[in-house]
Amino acid sequence: MFESAPEWLAPETLTEALALKAEYGEEATIVAGGTFLAILLNQRFLAPQRFLSLRAVPELRGIEANGELRLGAMETHRAVERAPVVLEGWPGLARTFALVASARVRNQATVGGVLADADYASDPPAMLTALEARALVRSRDGEREIPLEELITGHYETSLRGDELIVGVHVPREGRSTYRKFRSRSHEDRPCVGVAAALRGGSLRVVVGAVASRPQWFPEICGLADGEELDAALGSEIAERYAQAVDPLADVRGSADYRRRVIRVEVRRALEDLVQAEAA
Amino acid sequence: MTDPRVTGAVRYAQDVELEGMLEARILRSPFPHARIERVDTSAVPAGIVVLTPGDVADLGMYGAQIKDQTVLACDRARFAGDPVAAVAAATLREADEALALIDVDYEELDSVFDPVEACGQDAPLVHDRHNVSENDAAYFGIRPQQGTNVCHRFRLRQGDVEAGFAEADVVVEETFRTAGAQHAHMEPHASVAQWENGRLEVWTGTQTPFNLRSDLAGVLGIAEDRIRIVCPPMGGAFGAKTFVRLEAIVACLARKAGRPVRAILERNEEWLTLNRHPAEIRVRLGARADGTLLAKEVECWADTGAYADCGPGVAQKMGFAAPGPYRIPHVSVESRCVYTNLPPNGAFRGYGQMQTVWASERAMDILAERLGADPLELRLQNLLQEGDRYATGEELHDVRFAECLETAADAIGWRESRQGKGLCVLMKGMQTPSRAGIAIEASDDGTYTLRCATAEMGQGARRAISLLAAELLEVDVANVRFPDPDTDLVPYDTRTTSSRSTYIMGRALVDAVRDLKENGRRGYGEVEIPGGLDPDTGQGVASHHWHQGAGAAEVRVDEETGKVEVVRLHASVYAGRVVNRPGAELQNEGSMIMGLGTTLFEAVDIADGQVTNANLSDYEIPSFMDVPVALTHDLLERDGADVHGLGETALPPVPPSVGNALASLGLHVTDLPISAEAVLDAVDRRAGLREVPA
Amino acid sequence: MRIAFTVNGEGVEVDARSDEMLLEVLRRDLGLTSVRATCGIGVCGACTALVDGEPISTCLLLAPLAEGRQVTTVEGLGGEDPVQRGFVEAHAFQCGYCTPGMILTAKRLIEESPQPSEEEIRLALAGNLCRCGCYVKIVDAVRRAAA
Repeated sequence: MFESAPEWLAPETLTEALALKAEYGEEATIVAGGTFLAILLNQRFLAPQRFLSLRAVPELRGIEANGELRLGAMETHRAVERAPVVLEGWPGLARTFALVASARVRNQATVGGVLADADYASDPPAMLTALEARALVRSRDGEREIPLEELITGHYETSLRGDELIVGVHVPREGRSTYRKFRSRSHEDRPCVGVAAALRGGSLRVVVGAVASRPQWFPEICGLADGEELDAALGSEIAERYAQAVDPLADVRGSADYRRRVIRVEVRRALEDLVQAEAA
Repeated sequence: MTDPRVTGAVRYAQDVELEGMLEARILRSPFPHARIERVDTSAVPAGIVVLTPGDVADLGMYGAQIKDQTVLACDRARFAGDPVAAVAAATLREADEALALIDVDYEELDSVFDPVEACGQDAPLVHDRHNVSENDAAYFGIRPQQGTNVCHRFRLRQGDVEAGFAEADVVVEETFRTAGAQHAHMEPHASVAQWENGRLEVWTGTQTPFNLRSDLAGVLGIAEDRIRIVCPPMGGAFGAKTFVRLEAIVACLARKAGRPVRAILERNEEWLTLNRHPAEIRVRLGARADGTLLAKEVECWADTGAYADCGPGVAQKMGFAAPGPYRIPHVSVESRCVYTNLPPNGAFRGYGQMQTVWASERAMDILAERLGADPLELRLQNLLQEGDRYATGEELHDVRFAECLETAADAIGWRESRQGKGLCVLMKGMQTPSRAGIAIEASDDGTYTLRCATAEMGQGARRAISLLAAELLEVDVANVRFPDPDTDLVPYDTRTTSSRSTYIMGRALVDAVRDLKENGRRGYGEVEIPGGLDPDTGQGVASHHWHQGAGAAEVRVDEETGKVEVVRLHASVYAGRVVNRPGAELQNEGSMIMGLGTTLFEAVDIADGQVTNANLSDYEIPSFMDVPVALTHDLLERDGADVHGLGETALPPVPPSVGNALASLGLHVTDLPISAEAVLDAVDRRAGLREVPA
Repeated sequence: MRIAFTVNGEGVEVDARSDEMLLEVLRRDLGLTSVRATCGIGVCGACTALVDGEPISTCLLLAPLAEGRQVTTVEGLGGEDPVQRGFVEAHAFQCGYCTPGMILTAKRLIEESPQPSEEEIRLALAGNLCRCGCYVKIVDAVRRAAA
């Protein structure tokens, strides 16, 4: 009655979409899968002037492997968790996407969306960071790649510029990887602590999610594993240092103190998983 | 013709559509305690119906047991979420937009958020005066402590506790806490009201149509027969859909609008409408070295929130159930129902028993440990038996506590090993006194229609009552109809709570069928069950008969993270006679699963008087994956026994069974829910690493 | 804006706001009350419909995104679907509010995994909440439906 419905923009090419993004900036709310957006709309947190739906943009689709994995930004979680090429070459990534929320959400939520939303309790960002993924980002004026660790900058904040869209994610071939999703309450809970660990070419990355505004990666601590055998003692040391390095937040799933204790345990267990994965 | 539940054909209150109906939204106080200085609706466009405190200030007050509520908060808001205004518009969207245009000036007042603190000298008073209600829900002597935040105080005295403790070889003392919980019924509260020729008609999901009608009559200043309540089936209730919730607001909006009005709560509003009483319970328990119980002293503080609702009854039940199913010569109980500036708390499955059984049964295991006794043997040794008098002085019959406890213990292999295992035995009261009536109408086509106020909330009472009627009428149950209760058409019933309906309607049916056989077309039967307790001594008849049960749990603990896995969970419930077997099984299973939520996940989190987890992600209820694969139960029966209600009994034993299982591993917890963090703290205490109090 | 899609096999065209969810459209414009507004955040599953054969939380699907898609609710199953029959046989419901969501999710599971184990059933349905606690009997219902 008072506020008329937002305009619905549905570009059919990436060029068109980027032009609209450049023109409207913050005054156009991007619709990818729309799950997070819908939650905000249902609670009346947002009153958008217009929607910019990416549903019909073909350049944002596709899951291919060519040395590296390329995930189109509009591919759903479900598509990623089931794609044969992902299951074959990036099984850890497939498993991580499969752990998100419920099948209903995964049928709708997208790769680009989960990154752009930058929700601190999401699972994929931690794993993608551990796998050295890069977000492919385009604007009307050009394109660039943003390493995952530089993409999410804070609570629901990214380093994307106002006229940029994530068009895809590139993931180098997996070596060994594991993702541990620790829930402190129900099995359906969002994570209290998420630990992604990956070993590729002798280089270790451990990334802890759900404990701070952005995924927590400490390359200097991971560097302790360079050229070393990842034995129990080293695993415990890395875990202990991560527990000290993170300044965890408190929420309904756990206090800061509790999170710190769980980080110590779950990082160690993730490293044990990595070692066992090789032995298997 | 298949079950409407699988075709989506069930019509809940939210599905009721009336011609010209408007949609309502409620404006709520953001402050936990504040004077309402000014409500300015001038910016709301014409065409939107607005209800302000000014519109309702002259209406009557209401309240199930204490008359402490007005339709909207008038002079002051008493909790963050207290309704201050309401609007009705053609669409929800318009109603939301209109709500945002109402401007309210508040002046904040001091608040209190803890029931023990609220009993202190300097605590701000939530209500200046406590007036006991005159309606049927205030069915027992209520003892408001004027000039304090205590709106009811229940006492039970037997023997001389101090003498008992003096004689005891071992005395244990501990304080327990239980968090508030949200019913989280899947169907939100929904009510529709319309005025037709000066008569109010309300379609609402309610367990208490007659109490509701009585309260609305008082509010509106009209005779009860000018009000009609129709009860569509509910998508779950568990005690939340009782007494006045949205109905007074929609009735007033409908009257002002001259059109029907519907209100459906948004999920977050459920935490601002009714929750379960948080409680603090202090137990002192004394016994001889041989395990004979001698004395028990219990003090309870039940946080009833800003409005009492049926809090006095909850505090009373908490109090009279406190002694537990044991022979204890000296007992003293003091149970207080206390106001705080938090959302109101009211009936919740297990009703006062859940809190007190947690405290009592954990205390028994603490005592067992001190005595070096087997927790099962300690209980068996002291259990009440047939013909014994309970702490209220009433004589007990059809006593089956030992049977329940033994079957539960056997189910988890108690006698093979006790490591990681815990037990619980309990007694639960049924609403006493109460009365119920039922009418049967015979049709020419050989079908019978039951006129009965029992509300359907998934518990299967209608099915059970229909089965009993079919049995008595000697017809197939397919020939028995049970329409939605309509107060214009059904006889009086106290209400559908405390797991009483199948039992009491079953009794009323016997008379109704006899009457029908004599009269041909219509039969009527009624039952009145006497009883009640003296609130100053706790003596009398607390429960016409008792719901009896026991629980057992086996747990595994990840001692690095504190995560508890319930490997096995069992409940043994005395059913007396099972009428509707699938329904009975579902009630046990459902109660146990809800009990798991109470045990491990569920707490209404409050910060500065604000509920901070008012959604189904931050507030977790059990899912498929949280249910132990080994979840089993017994429905114990006896030939010739009465039907015993099953709706709640299997919930209260779950928390103590798990808590006691943890205790068997040296991990002592006293508060619910048992968070992983609390278990880690218990691990530290066991290792002597911390002085953190339990 | 006009949105055209298929519901239970029939083509429909509705006029809905761009910021409304499919849930509102199904209930208000198409009279399908088996999908229910419950949690508003996609965690409970009581608003589940199959969209192009896959379970979706209709409370989170913006109506324009339903354009051109096939939507199925329990009203479209006819009443004699094996999953519906399985639920009736196992008496896998109490209040019935969550049941449609359970049925559709189970239906999709059985399509993908015709002989699901108990663990698979629990995992596939874990995102559907039942406060009445019918989980044990629901697992039984799905097993019967798959048999």
